[in-house]
Amino acid sequence: MEIFKIISIALLTCFLSIIIKNIKPEFHIPILLIGGTIILLMVIDQLKEIVNYILNIFSKTNLDYSMFISILKILGVGYLTEFASGICIDSGNTSIADKVLIAGKIIILCLSLPIITNLLDIIVSLL
Amino acid sequence: MDYNIIFKIAAIGILTAVVAQILKNIGKDEIATIATLAGVVVVLLMAVNMISELFETIKQLFLIY
Repeated sequence: MEIFKIISIALLTCFLSIIIKNIKPEFHIPILLIGGTIILLMVIDQLKEIVNYILNIFSKTNLDYSMFISILKILGVGYLTEFASGICIDSGNTSIADKVLIAGKIIILCLSLPIITNLLDIIVSLL
Repeated sequence: MDYNIIFKIAAIGILTAVVAQILKNIGKDEIATIATLAGVVVVLLMAVNMISELFETIKQLFLIY
């Protein structure tokens, strides 16, 4: 199963980063960065299958999947801001992590505007 | 490829620490700082490569252009 490999890599990264932290404090962040990236890259294959599966469903039922595309974008932005803020918190400066989170939220909000307008149109048409 | 990059970085870290220590004992302090900087730069380059690979896959996956 994939999960055993992921857990072992995560623990390995934690131990190595502690060891290196005492020897050479500068190398603490790159190790965490690369460990997180490796774990994310391992999980991305399953995520690709999910996205293709949903796209197939949409293409079969010939719904307009423009909505789904923007939802995908929002997912991607959330995915990356979570990754970046995690690294910032690990390195100790939580203020930058909060700023990254705020920026991510604003980007997600402006990405979701078309969905909101679509929803309002549907509501107006119902009335 | 997955996990041995982490070992590589740990090895580079320990190596630069040792080299810097030796250089300090010999008395060449400025070369020690340069050696440490070189180690940090090498590690950061590897980190940047991994990050760019992650960004490329995410761009393709989430259709963010």
